[in-house]
Amino acid sequence: MDYLAEKYLRPRKIPSTACSGCGLGQVHKKVVMAIDELGLEQGDVVWGTGIGCAGRQTFNTWKGDNFAGTHGRVYALACGLRIALPPEKKIILTVGDGDAFGIGLLHLLNCARRNVDITVIVCDNFGYQSTGGQFGYTTPRGFRTDSSPYGMFENNWTQNGVDILNILRDAGATFLARHTSFEGHAAVDSIKKAIENKGFSLVHVLYPCVTNFGGRALGSRRPSEIYKWFEQITLKAGEEPEEGQPGFHTGVYYDISNSREEYSSVVKNLTKRVQAGEV
Amino acid sequence: MKKVFDTGNAAITEAAIIAGCQIYAGYPITPSTEIAENMSRRLPQAGGYYVQTEDELAGLYTCLGASLGGMKAMTSTSGPGYVLFSDPYGWGISSEIPVVIIDAQRVGPVSGITGAPGQGEFYLSRYPTHGGNYETIVLAPNSVQEAFDMTVRAFYLAERFRTPVTILADQLVTDGWESFEIPETADELKEKGLEIVERKVNCGPEFFPASDEIDIPPVVLGYNTGAACSDWTPTEEGYDIEDPVAHLKHSYRLVYKIRNHRELIDRHEAWFMEDDPEIVLVSYGSPSRVVTSAVKAARAQGIRAGAIRLQSLWPFQDQLFEKKTKYLVVELNFEGQLVREVQRATGENKDVHFYGKCGELPGVHELLQAMKEILSDQKITFEKFVSEAW
Repeated sequence: MDYLAEKYLRPRKIPSTACSGCGLGQVHKKVVMAIDELGLEQGDVVWGTGIGCAGRQTFNTWKGDNFAGTHGRVYALACGLRIALPPEKKIILTVGDGDAFGIGLLHLLNCARRNVDITVIVCDNFGYQSTGGQFGYTTPRGFRTDSSPYGMFENNWTQNGVDILNILRDAGATFLARHTSFEGHAAVDSIKKAIENKGFSLVHVLYPCVTNFGGRALGSRRPSEIYKWFEQITLKAGEEPEEGQPGFHTGVYYDISNSREEYSSVVKNLTKRVQAGEV
Repeated sequence: MKKVFDTGNAAITEAAIIAGCQIYAGYPITPSTEIAENMSRRLPQAGGYYVQTEDELAGLYTCLGASLGGMKAMTSTSGPGYVLFSDPYGWGISSEIPVVIIDAQRVGPVSGITGAPGQGEFYLSRYPTHGGNYETIVLAPNSVQEAFDMTVRAFYLAERFRTPVTILADQLVTDGWESFEIPETADELKEKGLEIVERKVNCGPEFFPASDEIDIPPVVLGYNTGAACSDWTPTEEGYDIEDPVAHLKHSYRLVYKIRNHRELIDRHEAWFMEDDPEIVLVSYGSPSRVVTSAVKAARAQGIRAGAIRLQSLWPFQDQLFEKKTKYLVVELNFEGQLVREVQRATGENKDVHFYGKCGELPGVHELLQAMKEILSDQKITFEKFVSEAW
């Protein structure tokens, strides 16, 4: 086991039971690297997860304190937990794309609106892969999945001029970034910034699912083929996606870190002012 | 004791604060909105926090999250929101996190009549979530004073059993104005038979022991104890596991920690039950106020009537229905919910009748007439409809 796993993760859960070739481990590792590079210890972080590949595979891997919500609800749990925990404790959530951008979006947006001090790492494998490979909120238009056998027929949150990160920015998020699991230290740097923001941070990390998305939507389970597709969809600066094709610029998307009071501080200050008779 | 004249909603608010509630999170809904309003004013004064959430799911989850961080928490709602609690309620039961839930029942299904009393969540409060393998604790007040007392008790039971506790009130109890007493010292609290349990922290490594014990501290995060809780079947240490034996151990705990300590939960009131009554009226919540008067009126007319009022609904108190006699169950719904449980509890002695109304209380004269109809083997009728247990 490598140094990071030994220091921060539970031997019983590492290696995970993820499919061979899955990119989730890379995302997981980047989060732990970020924690390590920030000099945080086991007791400084409380780790939460959602449902699906990302939630199940990362749950209770952290040596410290862990929790998992039902599908899409971990943001509401984290909002309450944030108020109860000391402000210096970091709450980091590793969740899937269906959890964050589908079933949990209402709670996610309201956490952004309130600027709740949590770091949400959305581990995006382009759909519902743990249930066998149905389309989700980032599945590219036209792609065949188990529930879009004739091609993805709905609009998604990440194509044709729509970007979920815009919606989150407008909702009130104070740090947003996007990366792929193939990227190296740039992604770790973004996660570090996300953790350092005392407010709502979200890092959207795209990663390959070899078993379902690769096999069905991309037509190959070979990691090298999937890597090529990731190269295609990762755009260079100034480059735009081809008509009808998905494409993502990676890096820090929006950063007004520490410029707005975070939510638990807002409610705690209100209580202080009420008790002091100031309001 | 401080004497106050106010609503059930206000009494619940003050009781929660005395019980140590530090956070309220919820969504406004008639007829429990005033609890949210009162909490938004009173909690900050008492050093606590008010959170208004995007829906009831988030309301209960935010409470559970705060409780997971060590705070005592409460939410309130009515039927349409209680249904949305289904998901977080299950999470709270399975993760064994203390929280107090107030349901001011109104008339359903769905939005129904918003500002009138109903009793449609009797079974829903027994089965508030899916999947089985659990028991619930549910209390039912019939006055403003009792709403106060039961709120303090609900916090006490939630901590000791580490589970969500529902107070199944109704619109007349929450919106109704009555005088009530607020204990101001520890002695006065004791005098009322009330107790406060402080939150303790489970330091592991066994967070979900396979036993029926109570008073095991819940999982509290932030202490670096290596605690874990989730919606999955846990091992004793909190690891997620898909294993029927582990699930059996977990289910045994969820069911038998409650079944084997019922003496802490079971409460009822009995009137005129000593002289072998020929008919026993059964009720909970605000209809019981009319039932008491109806039984007295019946006694004055020579009918040997008695009454049982349930102050705790779940676990159900089967032992109260051993007497072989006629039972008349009075409820604020038309289809009969409590009556089915009474039918089950009376077993072979089954002579159980039903009087259901909705949106308003029955009158004393109506219940008197129903008693006479039952005792003369006639069908109970009102508004040209026959009312009978199904």
